[in-house]
Amino acid sequence: MRNTFVDAYPDQARFIRRVFATSFTAFAVGAFFGLIQALHRTDILRVVESPTYYTVLTGHGVFLVLSFTIFFLVGVYQWAVTDSLERRPVDMRFTWGWYGLMVLGTLLAAFAILAGFVESIDVSANTLFTFYAPLQGHPIFYVGLVLFVVGTWLAGADWFRSWLAWKGEHPGERIPLPTFMVLTTMIMWYISSIGVAVAILAFILPWSLGIVDSINPTLTRTLFWYFGHPVVYFWLLPAYLLWYILLPKLSGGRLFSDPLARVVFILFILLSTPVGIHHQYLDPGIAEGFKFIVMTNTMFLLLPSFLTAFTVVASMEHGARQRGGTGYVGWLRALPWREPAFTGMALAGLVFAFGGFTGIVNAGMNINYLVHNSLWVPGHIHTQVGTASALTFMAGSYWLVPQLTGNRLVGRSIGLVQVLLWFIGIVFMTNSMYRGGLVGIPRRTAEPQYEGFQYEVAAGSVGELNAQLAIGGILLFISAMLFLALMLLTLFNRDSEPVDNRTIPAPLSGPEDSPAVLDNLKLWAAIAAVLVLLAYTIPLASIVTRGGLFGPDIGPFPVTIEGSGSIELVRMGLEFALETVSR
Amino acid sequence: MRLTLPRLLLVIAFLIVILVEFRTVLGFFDIAVPFTTAVIVGVVVIGALVLWSLLSSGEGSNE
Amino acid sequence: MRIHTYEKLWLVAALVLIVGFIATITYGSVGLGISMIDDSEETLSPDEINDDERFGEPRVEQVGENEYEAYVVAQTFIFQPDPIEVPANSRVTFYVTSRDVIHGFAVVGTNTNTMVIPGEVSTLTVEFDEPDEYGIVCNEYCGDFHHTMEGQLTVVPEAEFDMTELEAEADDEVELGDETTVTATVENGALNDLETTATFEIGDQTVEEDVTVAGQDTEELAFTVDSTELGEGDHDWTVTVDDHEESGTLTVVEDLEGEDETGADTDGANGTDEDAEAGDTDA
Ligand code: HEM
Ligand SMILES: [Cu+2]
Ligand SMILES: [Cu+2]
Repeated sequence: MRNTFVDAYPDQARFIRRVFATSFTAFAVGAFFGLIQALHRTDILRVVESPTYYTVLTGHGVFLVLSFTIFFLVGVYQWAVTDSLERRPVDMRFTWGWYGLMVLGTLLAAFAILAGFVESIDVSANTLFTFYAPLQGHPIFYVGLVLFVVGTWLAGADWFRSWLAWKGEHPGERIPLPTFMVLTTMIMWYISSIGVAVAILAFILPWSLGIVDSINPTLTRTLFWYFGHPVVYFWLLPAYLLWYILLPKLSGGRLFSDPLARVVFILFILLSTPVGIHHQYLDPGIAEGFKFIVMTNTMFLLLPSFLTAFTVVASMEHGARQRGGTGYVGWLRALPWREPAFTGMALAGLVFAFGGFTGIVNAGMNINYLVHNSLWVPGHIHTQVGTASALTFMAGSYWLVPQLTGNRLVGRSIGLVQVLLWFIGIVFMTNSMYRGGLVGIPRRTAEPQYEGFQYEVAAGSVGELNAQLAIGGILLFISAMLFLALMLLTLFNRDSEPVDNRTIPAPLSGPEDSPAVLDNLKLWAAIAAVLVLLAYTIPLASIVTRGGLFGPDIGPFPVTIEGSGSIELVRMGLEFALETVSR
Repeated sequence: MRLTLPRLLLVIAFLIVILVEFRTVLGFFDIAVPFTTAVIVGVVVIGALVLWSLLSSGEGSNE
Repeated sequence: MRIHTYEKLWLVAALVLIVGFIATITYGSVGLGISMIDDSEETLSPDEINDDERFGEPRVEQVGENEYEAYVVAQTFIFQPDPIEVPANSRVTFYVTSRDVIHGFAVVGTNTNTMVIPGEVSTLTVEFDEPDEYGIVCNEYCGDFHHTMEGQLTVVPEAEFDMTELEAEADDEVELGDETTVTATVENGALNDLETTATFEIGDQTVEEDVTVAGQDTEELAFTVDSTELGEGDHDWTVTVDDHEESGTLTVVEDLEGEDETGADTDGANGTDEDAEAGDTDA
């Protein structure tokens, strides 16, 4: 009998399909914006005015690294929890509720950003996705972000609730690995997203509404990065989950070690947050000592990724040997390279390993001076979230979407071409970005062509770097569109059967090989909280002492039109809502 | 065909990637490979690979 | 907990690598005494910039032999001063602050790079050995025209570097028969004394005068012009000190309308360079 996910949990499959559709829509828009940027920066084709470039770039950041990745995350996590606990959520209405809140938040933020294209609407938020004050966006933008984040909090609550219900039914059992991964990720997320919530709710939103009129830019920036590093793991951990859970199966084997996987996720809870200041190595107003501490923490944060590399490769090798592979490297040939789901994930892992080394460069507090805010950084971003996460998500979808629809994947070989195109495109684009960054081409710049000087490119020329970047961007865009087309076709490929079923083989070394303390989530959360307090109390206190909570009289610099009626409307709406709530 | 189509594509993708990155590495050692040279090398190598895999239809053509 | 032998090996190797990275970076930053951007400077609110001793007038200042300080203000979408000029074979400390939003200050293709945050002052010390020209870019998005925000940093040969500034002032018109004075102010920004010659030219007359300006001091020179010698009409004049030149035009007229007080005034203030200075200090 057919045993796919949709057969077992039709309503969950429907829900996750909806979530994925949202994620992929954001992906489509974001990828299109990426193409515009790649062509604009290189002066190959400029379809927008240069000031509008920043509207595009804000959209690219927000739609890709917030909407695309995080919607995909909640979809995969919903699948992982349901499938591994073998139970539905306690109350499906609640599940739809948080999804609705996330969508609402996204729509509000998207409206604020996209309105920047339309002059007749006096709303815009050209702040880029980092929204550093005193740059100021329209309040709707911040409200949207907050709702979105609150939605993810509720999603986490939903999964915890499912787990508690499951625990009641299965006393004394170990948490199934996929659920363990979900819960640990969410603990990390709760601890870290407090930063951005405080930054927006306590400072930026009141300030954008004109309730307070000054801001401490170092404080909001530090709170942003308090959240800004862990958020990269929030993008990455669903990819890790797929590497640990799905990739071994796709390779034809099983996960090498369940205990090690748990250790890895615990390390992420502990270490992801107390490192954010490594994005602020070049910030004045923060003492060198704090920067040094986060540098060491950051290096230790390499450990879980190193361990993951081991487990992933070991599991792949095990799979290959199960399929008849032999030899030291000969086993590689026995892997199912014709499967886009497998190949995409393997390539994503490879690119991730490479990008990891560029990340070590970033983390070096001395070398960072050379690359900070240069094009090198988007190079790093695209190898990591732009490929390790994005390509894994696409590859995972080649397996997941048939499970969610009950339809066979359309165009498996086109899928293979798609992931290979992404691989080539990303290498073209990021190679150019890395090299461009080293000669000093800045990131986040519509026209990195200046009047007063020329870049000194050691080997090659700027023209060639530009060509390479643009070709890479075009290949990526084509690849993204191919992926979306295949997803659509699969969705409508009704009279077909998926080739695989939903079972995930048990790990070689199961949870019984690890101490039960690994499953003591409260303990890990508490230790993480202590580490965060240790790492952040003094820097934050010092920033507040220096600049004051609301800054030394630093007023807004709106990248939105000032004194607009719509701000008034939002303020009234908020005040009304507050009153209703407090009544 | 000596290589199945998926494998051929995979190998081509890797060749392109290695070419791009290898050229960068050489650049770090002050060996500048001109853009056109790199393109020509790429075309020749990949062309040769494709020909090899198409023409010599060896024994294991179905594997 | 059961861990595979290979896993253990890998774990140890990973830890060794990590500690190795930390050691290298520690040596490469702290060990070599390279100082990072930090909190060593007092905060400075953007609305205090204009009254600030250092940033009120963005400039390069000499603070020691071969040591300079550059006070730079970033604001949408310019840097001040621009260009920044420093001599080769010098050690320059940049102090950078922002008047509005967060900017970047990056010397293109080098590791001279900092965030510029309103309310804070970033400091970086750089050694310049050779004459060169660099671009400066703002590498943090700061608004609509962020991409136009650039500046220049010129490292000039030591011999050509000067911190002398020349200003000249004179009346536009003088009545035939009266005397008038062209005043030149020579400012020496360097620490050492400046010994040079000032040249004043008007019509076909040339006056040369030796001048010594003490380190980080100013001298005033006054050149007296007798309108009778010049005769009626427009007369171009120039004051030259080293490579600096100031010029203007003096018109000698038959009759100045209204009260002719200016002529009398300049007459009264008439005096020559060093003497006048000395007199001033005495008073
Ligand atoms: C269709 C493929 C894509 C293309 C052509 C593309 C192109 C670009 C370019 C040219 C930039 C640099 C803009 C600048 O600094 O001026 C950029 C920035 C960025 N991209 Fe992409 N990108 C693509 C896909 C992605 C994906 C899949 C992600 C993540 C999931 C992503 C995340 C980002 C982020 C976070 C930035 C930095 C934004 C900022 O500086 O505010 N991109 N992209
Ligand atoms: Cu980080
Ligand atoms: Cu800027």
